[in-house]
Amino acid sequence: MSLNDVAGEMTQLVSFSVDREEYAIPVLKIMEILRMPEVTRVPNTPTYVEGVMNLRGKVIPLVSLRKRFNLDGSENGRRTRTMVVDVTGELMGFIVDSVSEVLRVAEAEILPPPAAISAGVQQECVSGVINRGERLLIMLDLDKLIGSEERGIMKE
Amino acid sequence: MKLECEDQELLEGFVTESTELLQKLDDDLVNLEKSPRDNELLNRVFRSIHTVKGTSSFLGFELLVQVTHKIEDVLNRLRKGDLLLTSEIMDVILEGADLVKLLVNDIAEGELRDRPVEETIGKLSPFLSDNSGEASCLKKEATATCEVARENPPPVETAIREPATTETPAEAAGKPRSDESSESASVRVDVKRLDDLMNQVGELVLERNRMLQLSSEQQNGVNRLEFVREFNSLSKRMNYITSELQMQVLKMRMIPVEKIFRKFPRIVRNLARDLGKEVELHLVGEETELDRSILEELGDPLVHLVRNALDHGLERPDERIANGKTAGGALVLSAEHEGNHIVIRIKDDGRGIDHEKVSQKALEKGVVTEAQLANMGKREILDLIFLPGFSTKETASDISGRGVGMDVVKTYIKKMNGIIEVRSTVGSGTEFIIRLPLTLAIIQTLLVGVGKETYSIPLSSVLETLRVENGSFHRVGGQEVLRLREEILPLLKLDRLFNNDDDAGEKLFCYVVVVGAAERRLGLVVSRLLGQQEVVIKSLGRYLGTIPGFAGSTILGDGQVALIVDPVGLIGGYDGSYLPGMQAM
Repeated sequence: MSLNDVAGEMTQLVSFSVDREEYAIPVLKIMEILRMPEVTRVPNTPTYVEGVMNLRGKVIPLVSLRKRFNLDGSENGRRTRTMVVDVTGELMGFIVDSVSEVLRVAEAEILPPPAAISAGVQQECVSGVINRGERLLIMLDLDKLIGSEERGIMKE
Repeated sequence: MKLECEDQELLEGFVTESTELLQKLDDDLVNLEKSPRDNELLNRVFRSIHTVKGTSSFLGFELLVQVTHKIEDVLNRLRKGDLLLTSEIMDVILEGADLVKLLVNDIAEGELRDRPVEETIGKLSPFLSDNSGEASCLKKEATATCEVARENPPPVETAIREPATTETPAEAAGKPRSDESSESASVRVDVKRLDDLMNQVGELVLERNRMLQLSSEQQNGVNRLEFVREFNSLSKRMNYITSELQMQVLKMRMIPVEKIFRKFPRIVRNLARDLGKEVELHLVGEETELDRSILEELGDPLVHLVRNALDHGLERPDERIANGKTAGGALVLSAEHEGNHIVIRIKDDGRGIDHEKVSQKALEKGVVTEAQLANMGKREILDLIFLPGFSTKETASDISGRGVGMDVVKTYIKKMNGIIEVRSTVGSGTEFIIRLPLTLAIIQTLLVGVGKETYSIPLSSVLETLRVENGSFHRVGGQEVLRLREEILPLLKLDRLFNNDDDAGEKLFCYVVVVGAAERRLGLVVSRLLGQQEVVIKSLGRYLGTIPGFAGSTILGDGQVALIVDPVGLIGGYDGSYLPGMQAM
């Protein structure tokens, strides 16, 4: 990268897809990306909570983003991945259809979210959109997505 | 005023040391009152206060120095024999000690408050003549001062008494203290234990090296048989070392129950005086060790039970004598190990609990119906006292009637996976028995299969397991039950409760794990029994929070996560939350 390129702060995002949409979250939030792990179901939890998994001796919850966005679930396929993300200090696994790449994006490229956004995703969980030629990436704010249910989803 | 101290380490050391000294002090003071001529004890008390005074003056805590200085002076006169120890003096010294504790606690919290110390100092002063602490004082003179002091309470007492906004030490003494909170931040570990731990870690490192070497040898192609043999012996040694290590770390988390027991002589003394009763407190098994997390939770329920025993259990001296007992009641607080459990008993030789009265009261309060009562045995009736909204004493005294009933005690105990029982004989006393697991971190469990999942059930609540043919279940009012040795055992089908239906179709037989908490039994129906395993409890995290019916999760040998069933919760919820849900299914 040349020095002339400082058209603003650059951030690195990881892009992934759920259903037909492409999403992105900051790479620093992601601890690791795994294939589908062995899942232990946890009874009496919302359907989008797939269960819990063993991450090298830590038990972390797994959330299916497909189910979280109320999309018809296709079975976990070959490209299905689990992203282990730090959500407000706690590790959580998110199941996505596939993870594509790490993008370098200038802050200026991230546009404020449009009024209406794709199926299922609540407005406040979208922190911006990135327009890249053919592609439209939705920046997700997982903290908000999870934070809205924080303090134990069971205590309803 | 916010506390600023440059040397945080020094400050922490001071707080830890002082708190320890002061806890010991209480005990010593009460003993001292019983044997006022024990010079060694008196010297120890003096040294404790002296140490606190010394350090606090070094660190510049003015209030603390003022109070400790006065106490020290009084103690010094006692030590030299200028004063004779009376209960009046002891009261004031205890009050002073409370104030000191309060001040130390302020420092521990990092917030220096302006406590009214003059009142206590004012009370201490009459026991000192003008040339305080000097050996030239005569005994006669001193006792005279003492007499005067008793007749004319120092005028300061009423003058400085502040409105109820500030907590006076006397009030503080009556309550269960929260000063333990500051302790949990750091642990004092026996150096020997630390050394042992280091040794074991050393061994572990050696075995790891061996493992790495073995792995590289294997990559370079080595005799297969040789490798298998080496590997087997390695895994044995690893097993041995890790279990040793586990024990060692567990031991470091253990603290003797003395830590909470020793505040009781003081509590009992004060209460007995307030209530006009004579009580002899016996502490047994103070050296019994318990996981610190449990110990911290145990304090409040114990205080409550002891208060109850003093207030409701033990009679007044005249009543006792009339009943042919000794004037002084006995209260025994004991702790002992029983297998993987610790058993704590609070036993008094008071009037006991009259189950007639209990059932009458329960009816009045509407906790049970007459029909229910008719079916209850003596034991079950006694257990009614643990129900919310139950109190047999007509007038709630300010000692035990603080709105926290036995149900709160029970909730506390349950939270720690413990059980509480009550045994009582009218006229000869009551005994509360608390059974607690030794630790909350690592437990023995029974692994069971339900549908496709594996669950673990804490072995501490498993009573027995049975292999039952499907046909032998009965239905009583929509509830499935099993006849087990002439008793009716209610059943809970885990596959249905956990929405985890077995797709293998109806089987001919299944297994029933009988779990129990106190006197209650419940049969959990599972598909398979897999064996026993020691597991480490892992929380399910903040996001999932607490899920009813589960106590946490653990990781099995094959890396799979297994949820830990909470039998106590299931039994508790069995009368309420789970039953309707099951019927709806």
